[in-house]
Amino acid sequence: MSEIDDKTQAVSEKAVSSTQGQGREDGGSGGVIILFFIVGLVASLVVGWVLFPKLLYSQKKQPIDFNHTLHNTLVGNGCESCHSFREDGSYSGVPKLAQCIECHEEVQSSNPEEIRFVEQYVKKGIEVPWLVYARQPDCVFFSHAAHVKAAKMDCATCHGPIGESESMKPYQQNRITGYSRDIWGENIGGFKKNTWDRMKMDDCSECHQKKKVVVGSVQTQKEGCFVCHK
Amino acid sequence: MKQEHGGVVTQKYGMVVDLDLCTGCGSCMVACMAENNVPFREDETDKLKSITWMRVYKLTNGKHYPETDICYLPRPCQHCEGSHGHSPCVSVCPATATDYDNQTGIVSQIYTRCFGCRYCMGACPYHARYFNWYDPIWPEGMERYLNPNVSPRMRGVVEKCSFCFHRYQAAKDKAHLDGQKEIDEDAYQTACTQACPAGAITFGDLDNPNHAVHELKKQPDTFRLLEKLGTNTKVYYVSSREWVRRAGDNYLKTEGLKKAVL
Amino acid sequence: MKIDRRSFLSLGVGVAAGTALSPLPWKLTDDLSIWTQNWPWTPVPEIGESSFVNSVCTLCPGGCGISVRKVEDRGVKIEGMKGHPVNQGGICALGLSGLQLLYGPTRIKTPLKRVGKRGDGQWAKISWDEAISEITEKLDGLRTSGNSHTVAGIAGSRHGTVSQLFSRFLTAFGSPNFFHTPSIADTYQLALQHMNGVSAAPGFDLENADFILSFGCGLLEGWGSPVRMFKANTGWKKAKARVIQIESRLSRTAAKSDRWIAIIPGSEAALALGVAHVLIKEMLYNKDFVDNYANGFESFVTDNGEIKKGFKQTVLEEYSPETVSRVTGIDPSAIILLAREFANAKAPLALCGKGQGKVPGSLNEAMSVHALNALVGSINRKGGVFPIPAMEVQGWAEVGMDTITSAGMNQPRIDGTPPNSLGYINQLPSAILSGKGYPLNVLFVLESNPLYTMADSKTVKDAFDKIPFVVSLSSFMDETAQYADIVMPNHIYLERLEDAPTPMGYNKSIISLSKPVFKPRLNTKHAGDTLILLAKGLGGGVAEAFPWKNFEACFEQAMGDKMKTLKKNGFWVDSDAVLPDWESTFNTPSGKFQFAPVEFSPGFAPIKIEGDSTFQLLLIPYETMRLSCGYIANPPFLTKTVEDTILKQNDCFIEINPKTAQSNQLSEGDVVVLQTPRGQARVRVHLEEGIMPDMVALPRGLGHTAHDGYIANKGINVNHLIGPVQDPVSGMDAAWGIRAKLSKA
Repeated sequence: MSEIDDKTQAVSEKAVSSTQGQGREDGGSGGVIILFFIVGLVASLVVGWVLFPKLLYSQKKQPIDFNHTLHNTLVGNGCESCHSFREDGSYSGVPKLAQCIECHEEVQSSNPEEIRFVEQYVKKGIEVPWLVYARQPDCVFFSHAAHVKAAKMDCATCHGPIGESESMKPYQQNRITGYSRDIWGENIGGFKKNTWDRMKMDDCSECHQKKKVVVGSVQTQKEGCFVCHK
Repeated sequence: MKQEHGGVVTQKYGMVVDLDLCTGCGSCMVACMAENNVPFREDETDKLKSITWMRVYKLTNGKHYPETDICYLPRPCQHCEGSHGHSPCVSVCPATATDYDNQTGIVSQIYTRCFGCRYCMGACPYHARYFNWYDPIWPEGMERYLNPNVSPRMRGVVEKCSFCFHRYQAAKDKAHLDGQKEIDEDAYQTACTQACPAGAITFGDLDNPNHAVHELKKQPDTFRLLEKLGTNTKVYYVSSREWVRRAGDNYLKTEGLKKAVL
Repeated sequence: MKIDRRSFLSLGVGVAAGTALSPLPWKLTDDLSIWTQNWPWTPVPEIGESSFVNSVCTLCPGGCGISVRKVEDRGVKIEGMKGHPVNQGGICALGLSGLQLLYGPTRIKTPLKRVGKRGDGQWAKISWDEAISEITEKLDGLRTSGNSHTVAGIAGSRHGTVSQLFSRFLTAFGSPNFFHTPSIADTYQLALQHMNGVSAAPGFDLENADFILSFGCGLLEGWGSPVRMFKANTGWKKAKARVIQIESRLSRTAAKSDRWIAIIPGSEAALALGVAHVLIKEMLYNKDFVDNYANGFESFVTDNGEIKKGFKQTVLEEYSPETVSRVTGIDPSAIILLAREFANAKAPLALCGKGQGKVPGSLNEAMSVHALNALVGSINRKGGVFPIPAMEVQGWAEVGMDTITSAGMNQPRIDGTPPNSLGYINQLPSAILSGKGYPLNVLFVLESNPLYTMADSKTVKDAFDKIPFVVSLSSFMDETAQYADIVMPNHIYLERLEDAPTPMGYNKSIISLSKPVFKPRLNTKHAGDTLILLAKGLGGGVAEAFPWKNFEACFEQAMGDKMKTLKKNGFWVDSDAVLPDWESTFNTPSGKFQFAPVEFSPGFAPIKIEGDSTFQLLLIPYETMRLSCGYIANPPFLTKTVEDTILKQNDCFIEINPKTAQSNQLSEGDVVVLQTPRGQARVRVHLEEGIMPDMVALPRGLGHTAHDGYIANKGINVNHLIGPVQDPVSGMDAAWGIRAKLSKA
C-alpha cells in the first residue's frame, strides 16, 4: 500500500466514526424524523387528494333539477328525442326552450321543479341557462355525427348513464380553466374505470388508436390534429 | 387517382388560381378574415405584423411606362406536401403544433399547442404564417360576429390559412348524417373560393378526377410558387403571361424559365 | 426527543413526496397550461344553430343579393346570394365587411341633439318624440311663414322607395329642393334624353359584347354594379372578348385589359370622335342602322330653316386622327387601328364614366361615346346598349297641392336648375354662399355624407355654416352627422326593409328586396318611418300625403303586385325584358336616333380644370375596390387590405412616375406637400411606372375626420384638394382632376 492509500483510508475511517458518533448522541431523533416525514406526507396527501379538489372546483346548481329517467320513459326515440341532430349535420346539444314548450306549454304534473320551470322560463320565454357538463374547450371540434351516426356509438360510451339519472348533479367548474369537472373526470387523480369517466384529449386519442380510425399525421403517426381541433 | 392510406380513402385538397381572372379586388382577403375570426388593429399598415391568411400580392413586370404591367397574386398557405408530407414548417415545429395530414393534404396549425417560437415562420418560403404580436381585441360589440366554428387565437401564437378546415368538418358532419361516405365537391369550398367575384379560384381534391381542379392543374400555363425548392405545394396558379410565370417561380432574372409543370 | 432542522427537512421531504404522490402538481400544471391559453379577454364565440337569411346589400348602389349566416341571433358572415341575377353568388370586399358596420362602434345609438359648438361632438341624448316634435315645430314655423321652400334635402340616391318618399316629403311640404348624390348615371340619362329622346337609364348588355372600348371606366374598380362587372370580365376572358382601356393610369382595369392605351386625361371625347372619324372615312360604320334608324348623320335643315351640320361632316372636318392625336397624345396609327378593330367586332360596345363614375363628367364625352355605339349599330341589339325606363313608384296617390305647397313648389330651385330637373348638388354650396337667391333654413341629409364626398370640402363646410339647422338621418357618426344639429339615426341596412333598384348599367329592370335580417340593435328608426312621423306631426296637406301607418305599409303599396315575387325570390326581374322595340328606344321627333340633336350635338369642348401654369403637375383621383369612398366609410377589414404603398401609418401616398419624381428630385417614401389651387396636404411619394409622367394620383376614400379610429385621420381626403368644375353644357360637375405641384416638406 502506498502512502497515499493509507491517508485516504484514514480519512474515510474518520468520516465513518464521526457519523456513527453523531447517531449515538441524538438517540431517538430518528423517530422524529420519520414522524415528521409521515406528517408531511399524510398532510400533503390530504391536501392533494381531498382539499385541493374542493378548492379547485366551484359548485353550481343547475337552474332546474331535470329528471332524465322520467323523460326517457315518456319519449319515443331515446336520447335523440330531445338531443337531436340539426339538418346541417351539427348537433344541437341541450334542447332549446322551444323544444321543451312542445310538451310543457302548460304544467303537466305537480312536480315543483316543473312548475318552477314553466313559471320562470316558459311563461316568460327565457332560455334556461343550463350548465353543460360535457362542454369542451373552444379549441375542440367534436363531431357527434361521426361518432353517433357513422361509428354507431352509444351516447353512454362518453356521457355515461346520464339518461338514467333522476336528478342533476351539481355542475363543478374548474376555477383556473373555467371548464367543467367532467372533462378532467370526477376522480382528481385522473383514474378511470369506465370509458365515460374522463373527456380529455388522451381519452379521445386512446379510443381512436384502438379503433385505428385514421392515421394521417406526419408528425405523430397518429391522427391529424385537425380531426379534433379548430 | 385516389390513394389508399391506412385503409382509408384520402383526398388531396388544393387550389387552382387563375391569375388572368384575378382582379386584385381583395374579396378573398376579407372573406377569409370574416370567416376565420382574423383580428385587426387600428393601424394595419405594417404588413409584416398584419395578419392576412390570404394576401393578394401585386407583381409588376418591371418595365417602364407605358410598357409596365401588373398582375395580382392571391397567396393562401400553399399547404406544401414536400416529400411525403415533410413540408418546411412541419419539419421544424418543435411543439407538434403544425402537422401535415395525409388524409386531406392539409397543413394544420393548432393554436393551443403552439408556443410561439416562430421557427415555422422562418421556414415558410411563402410568408404565409403570421405571429400574433398583440392580443386580439375586438371593439365592444364587434365580437358578436365571431364565427364559432373557428377558435380565436391568443397573443403569442402563430396562425395561418387552414383551407377553411372547419368547413370540411361541417361537410363531413352533414355527410355522416346523410350516410354518405364522401364529401361532394361543392359541399366543401373555402371562404375565398366562394367569395371571389371573378371566379378566379377553384378548390377541390386534386386527386379526384371528378373535381374541377384535377384537370385545371394540368393546363399548359400552370405553375406553382418556388417549385425548385421542392415544397410540392397544392396551390397552382395559371397565367397566360410569361413574366408572371417567371416571377412565380424564380427569384433571379438570370435564371431560366422553368416550363410549366404538371 | 429533539426537533431540529433535520426534522423540518424531513417534513419537507414528506410534503414533497406526498405532493408528488397526490394529483396536485400534475393537475395544477395541466390547468395552468390551459389557463395560459385562455386569457379572459380572448373572446369565445357562442355556439348555436346556424341559419342563412337572404337579403340585398345596399352599401353601394350595386344591388347584390346577399346571404347572411346567423348563429342563433348573431350575424357571423355575409356571403353572396347564389342565384341572384346581379352578382350570381359573388360578393365584394365591402359587402363581406358589412357585419363590422352592424356591430361597429361608429353606429349612432340614439337620437341626438347638439349641445356644444357645431362639429364639436357634444351631444345630448333625446327621445324620438323630442326629436320629432322639435323638428316639426321648426318646419311648421317655416311653412306657415311661407318659407317652406327654404328647406332642402340631400339623399344618397334618387332611386328607391325611401329616396322617393324623401322627395315626396319635400314636395308635400312645399320645397323644390331635393338633391341627390350625383354620378355618371345622371350624365348618361341626359345623353339618352338628347339622343334617344327617352328618360331612361342606359342598360349595357356587357355579357354579350365581344369588344369593350372603355373610356377610363373603372370596370374592375367599382363602375356600375361591381360584382356584375367582375363576372362580366371573367365572361369576356373565357369568351375571348377583347377589352381596350383608355386611361392615363394603369388601373386594375387597365392591367386586366387586352390593351391599355394611355391618354391625356380629359380628352376622351376627342378620341371617341377620332374613332368615329375613321369609321366614317373608311365606311366601316353600320350602314343599316345609320340609314334606317338614325337622324342627323348628314347635314339637315332645322324647323327654323337653319342648316345644321350633320355628325358626319363635323367629325370628318374636325376629328382626323392627326388632330385627335395632338389632343390625346395617342399615335394616329393607334387610333386608326382601334377604329378598325372596333368596327370589325361582332358586338362592340363603348363605355364611359371615369373610375367608379362618382363624378357625372362631361356630357360631351357621354354623347360622343354613345354616338360611337350608334355608328356601329350597337344600340338596341344584343351586346349593345338600350334604355332601361326609370321605375317610378306607381302605387302612391299624387301629392295634393294646398296653397302653401304649390307656392313653395313654384319657387325656383336654389341651385338655379329648372324645376323637375335632376338638381345639381355641385352648385349648391356656391348658391348658398353667393347669397343671391333665398337662404336655406333647414337641411335634411339622408344616406349621404356631403361634407366628405363633395368636391372642395372646405367650401361645402362654409356653406353648411350658413344653414342654421341641419338634420342628419345617418346610421353612422360620419362627417355630416357630426356637423348636424339633430341626428335621427336610421336602422342600418341589415335591419331595415327597402328596395334596391336597378343598378347603374344593368341590362334589365330589377328590384331586390332588402329585408330586416336582424332586429334593430339600437334605439334607431327606419328613415321611412321618421319621414312619416314628421309628416304626421306637421298635419294638414303634408300628413295627407303620408296616409300610411308605417313605412312597411307604404312600401308594400309602392311595390304593388311585385311584392309577392319579391318576398318569394328576394328579387323581381322584368322577365319580359327582351330588346325594347324601336319606338320605345327612340322617342325623338323623328322617331330615330339623333346623331345631332338640334339643341346640342357632340363635340369636343375639353373641360378646363383649375390651376395655372405654376402648377406643373396634374392631380387625378382614383378609386379602388379596397377603399369605399361614398356614404359608407371603410370598415376595418377593408382598410386592412389597403396596400402599404397607398397608406402607411397615417400617411397616404401619391402615385408618381419615376421620371417625374426624378425631375422633381423625389424618391420613394419622401414626404412632400401636395398643393392645388384648392388646398394643400402632406403626402408621401410612391413611384409607380404605371402612371403617365407629369401626373400624380391620389385614392378616394381616405382622410376621414369622423367615424372611428380604424379609419379616421388616415391619409387625406382628395376632395380637400379638388373643386367642382361645371360642365358648360350640362351644368353638372365634370372635374376629372386639378393642377397641382409638389414641394418637399
